[in-house]
Amino acid sequence: MYGGAFGVSAGLYDQFGAERVRDTPISEAAIAGACLGAALTGMRPIGEIQFMDFVTLSMEQLVLQASKVRFMFGGKASAPFVLRMPGGSGTGAAAQHSQSLENWFVHVPGLKVVMPSSAYDAKGLLLASIDDDNPVIFVEHKLLYKTKGHVPAEMYRIPLSQSHIVRQGRDVTVVATSIMVQRALAAADELAPEGIEIEIVDPRTLSPLDEEPIVESVIKTGRVLVVHEAVITGGFGGEIVSRIASSAAFDYLDAPVRRLAGRHMPIPYNRTLEYHTVPQVENIVEEARRLAQGVY
Amino acid sequence: MAKEVIMPKFSMTQEVGKIAHWLRAAGDVVEKGEPIAEVETDKVNMEIEAPADGILGGIRYQAGDEVPVTVVIAYILAEGEDAPAGQASAGATPAEPAPEPQRTAAVSATPVAQRMAAETGIDLAQVAGSGPGGRITRGDVERHLAAASPPSGNGKVRATPAARRIAREHNIALVTVAGSGPNGRIQAADVQTAATQDAVPTSPAMAAPSGTPTIFPLEGMRRTIADRMQASYQQAPHILFSADIDMTRARELRQTINARLPEGEPPVSMTAILVRMCAWTLRQHPIVNSHFRDGQIWLMPTVNVGVAVALDDGLIVPVIHHADQKGLRVIGAEVHELAARARAGRLRPQDMMDGTFTVSNLGMYGIDHFTAIINPPEVAILSVGRIAKRFMPDDNDQPVALPLMTVTLAVDHRVIDGAVAAQFVATLKAVLEEPVSLLM
Amino acid sequence: MLVTHSLPSDRVEELLSSIGADQACQMLERMQVIRYFEEKAEELYALGKIHGTMHLSIGQEATAVGASSAVRSGYDYLLNHHRGHGHCLAWGSDVNRTMAEFMGKEAGYCRGRGGSMHIADVERNNLGANGIVAGGVPIAPGVGLSIKLRGTDQVCLVIFGDGASNEGAFHEALNLASIWNLPVIFLCENNQYGMSMSIQRAANIERISLRAVAYGVPGETVDGNDLLAVYDAVGRAAAHARAGSGPTLIESVTYRWRGHSKSDRQAYRTRDEVKEWQAKDPIPRFARCLIEAGMLSEAEFEAVQQRAAQQIEAAVAFSDASPEPDVSTILEGVYA
Repeated sequence: MYGGAFGVSAGLYDQFGAERVRDTPISEAAIAGACLGAALTGMRPIGEIQFMDFVTLSMEQLVLQASKVRFMFGGKASAPFVLRMPGGSGTGAAAQHSQSLENWFVHVPGLKVVMPSSAYDAKGLLLASIDDDNPVIFVEHKLLYKTKGHVPAEMYRIPLSQSHIVRQGRDVTVVATSIMVQRALAAADELAPEGIEIEIVDPRTLSPLDEEPIVESVIKTGRVLVVHEAVITGGFGGEIVSRIASSAAFDYLDAPVRRLAGRHMPIPYNRTLEYHTVPQVENIVEEARRLAQGVY
Repeated sequence: MAKEVIMPKFSMTQEVGKIAHWLRAAGDVVEKGEPIAEVETDKVNMEIEAPADGILGGIRYQAGDEVPVTVVIAYILAEGEDAPAGQASAGATPAEPAPEPQRTAAVSATPVAQRMAAETGIDLAQVAGSGPGGRITRGDVERHLAAASPPSGNGKVRATPAARRIAREHNIALVTVAGSGPNGRIQAADVQTAATQDAVPTSPAMAAPSGTPTIFPLEGMRRTIADRMQASYQQAPHILFSADIDMTRARELRQTINARLPEGEPPVSMTAILVRMCAWTLRQHPIVNSHFRDGQIWLMPTVNVGVAVALDDGLIVPVIHHADQKGLRVIGAEVHELAARARAGRLRPQDMMDGTFTVSNLGMYGIDHFTAIINPPEVAILSVGRIAKRFMPDDNDQPVALPLMTVTLAVDHRVIDGAVAAQFVATLKAVLEEPVSLLM
Repeated sequence: MLVTHSLPSDRVEELLSSIGADQACQMLERMQVIRYFEEKAEELYALGKIHGTMHLSIGQEATAVGASSAVRSGYDYLLNHHRGHGHCLAWGSDVNRTMAEFMGKEAGYCRGRGGSMHIADVERNNLGANGIVAGGVPIAPGVGLSIKLRGTDQVCLVIFGDGASNEGAFHEALNLASIWNLPVIFLCENNQYGMSMSIQRAANIERISLRAVAYGVPGETVDGNDLLAVYDAVGRAAAHARAGSGPTLIESVTYRWRGHSKSDRQAYRTRDEVKEWQAKDPIPRFARCLIEAGMLSEAEFEAVQQRAAQQIEAAVAFSDASPEPDVSTILEGVYA
């Protein structure tokens, strides 16, 4: 009726009809289950969860079923589907409609987790996710819906599990996901006049992770800041930091590895409080500057 | 045919079941599926059902018995049939058990002590416990750590991984580099600067020790020595007894023998004489000629004296068997041959087996006295220093120069008490000072 | 206790003549194979040869065989539950490979990765047994949607227990299948106990099939120990689905003779109750029915039992001879 809670699928119903584009009842377990059942029997369904928070009601089907059917059945079953869901704060939607829960899925073998950071990436990654023979959790940040960027008309694909150097720099590596890539780019612009050049790496696919470009970047800069919106404790940043510490980049680290992430708290409703709950451009500027200046 | 009743496996982790009680007695007629016994498992009480119709018989375990799973506990018999005798048939052979994960030996320690040990990486087996029943407490761990850690100012350098890498690559000691980072931490740039300056020669006095230590893993003989000596030193309470021995007569004896050897026969060494004298002394004090094994004292029937031989990369102890029954010439030849074989790495296993006592002589290195560690399962070792002339007062308190040799006997106090050890040393001293005792 | 009525004798005759003697005897043999398979499973477990637990469906064979025989197994789809050895065998899957999977061997249907609770025969559209109560139920509407979009006349048979009917996922799935009019047969195998809780205590309605009313689909309760009754109800539901009329909820009332799993002391029920149900053993019951109809002799019944026992012995030998999975292949199948 509305093309999803944020109008992402607007127009699809008119274009493809009621058989292929279906309104569902608010039944998250059944939505995920239906995706899985159709995928098991030859379809490539794309499901949408209104808000990422509600994926908690689909967890059983994703974590216990979809992620495991291929392995559990000796490699003989395939579940190629994409489950899209808007995550993130910044819209005043408060504690139950603003979370970033991607790392829960990163922890589950058999699922792929994709987080685009721009309109261009969103299209290329979504098409690659649809082509992929695994269940893909596709997390879209709500604030990115408002961003603009050049998107070619043709059907290009961005391969999954390829980290992307978004911006080159020599002083500090910033590994960022989703909206934080945009904020890191803004921070880079602010720091450039000071002579501080940050290099931004966007994993794009959180799982399975393409680690090599991150390691290479850290070898180059010796200083690294990991930024995501999700709560810091148990967040994806911990995984990135751990990979760096165990890699060839360890011997090139010239400062403690820093993380910037959501505070360990629910997202508040109040605009000011909400703003201060997750990393903003000025926080990235400050952290990257301190790293570059050797304060840490 | 008799149908076996086995102790069933009720749960994934179950290894044994305890028979709580038999619900039916031998001779009872039972139906298939009828409960015949109740079993306590690690989870709950379960019932064992009759696997067939018939008569319960051949009950092998009673209430209270713990029985491994799959073991036959009884039989269901046909009318007039007897239970098979002996062990369970092949039908009840359990599947090959999966290898159990390695478990460390249980050490009694408080949770705090366990956590501290885990955090500091110390082995609790090395810590003496002062709590009830030898339980290791926090204080015990703290004392152990205090004893183990080097004094403060331990030479640790604050440096980033990158700085350390560059220092390695340029052979620069980090202690010589000034750090510009927070709290003086050495940054990559600091080492780079030092590397550039290093091209300028510095005075030898200022040159810091360069290079990194060469590290060898403990392998082969080194590992064996490490393990055995550590175990001996930790497990056997060593007590030590030293005496100076006047070697005048022993030297004369050696000279006399060597003068009479046929041409080309290697001379008898002082070590060979010591072996012979020790063997004789051991016969006088048989407790010293024992082994300590599995908490028991094994008085050994033969006297086999080992001789410690230094190698380039270790130490080995060939054994002169029946040393109390061999003449000095034979012992001399054996000591000579075994030492040569040892240095050539061609000792045979039997050359090193069944020692009951060890002599370690470092006199040839100019050592006056030292203490060797007992070579388990032996309970004593004699450390022998050089023979050197020293002035001693004679009966009239006038100085006389005597060829003295200091020996130190180490004994395992679990087996040998001080007085016994002292008597052994006294006997050895007597026979070396008056070798004629050997003939008496 | 829920009372279920026997099929009228003319309906029995009608069904038997449409099934035919050969097919009927095969159905009887399949039930016997399931019974022996599970008794052997129990024996192997007690001998310590099985790594893991198991859930036995002894006493429920008529539901498995009746339902599978009423659809086109291998063409239609099956989703079933943790007490699933019987469903897999009833679906016509190979006894050897089923046993090999149970024993964790490479020759098993899932190469030893799934085990007792997750046996699937994907090539024959058995989409797998499920270790989660109601875990397979929400998958069924997806299968139904796929059938509908592909325009075939397949159906999806999803079997779950009485316990699953109290999971939210069951209600979401039944509703979705109903509003989208999907070809799904929801078969609730009511064996009276969800783990240790009896269905009388777990739900305040007399029949689970009544829940169909809430979602606007047909609902029916049958005697799950009567193979023909199950066959009849599932067959009608399949025809209904193939005609494009949507899902059906069938409750098949049966009884689990054994405990929930191996470590169940069964303190929640009496031995008399178990005995009462053992007297309603579906296998001799169907055999009697065939003998009365002149389709089977006592001697033939014995031959059926012997053939079934031989198949099980052969399956154990096959599985014993099958290699263990190679550790070097451990990651295979985690991702495509």
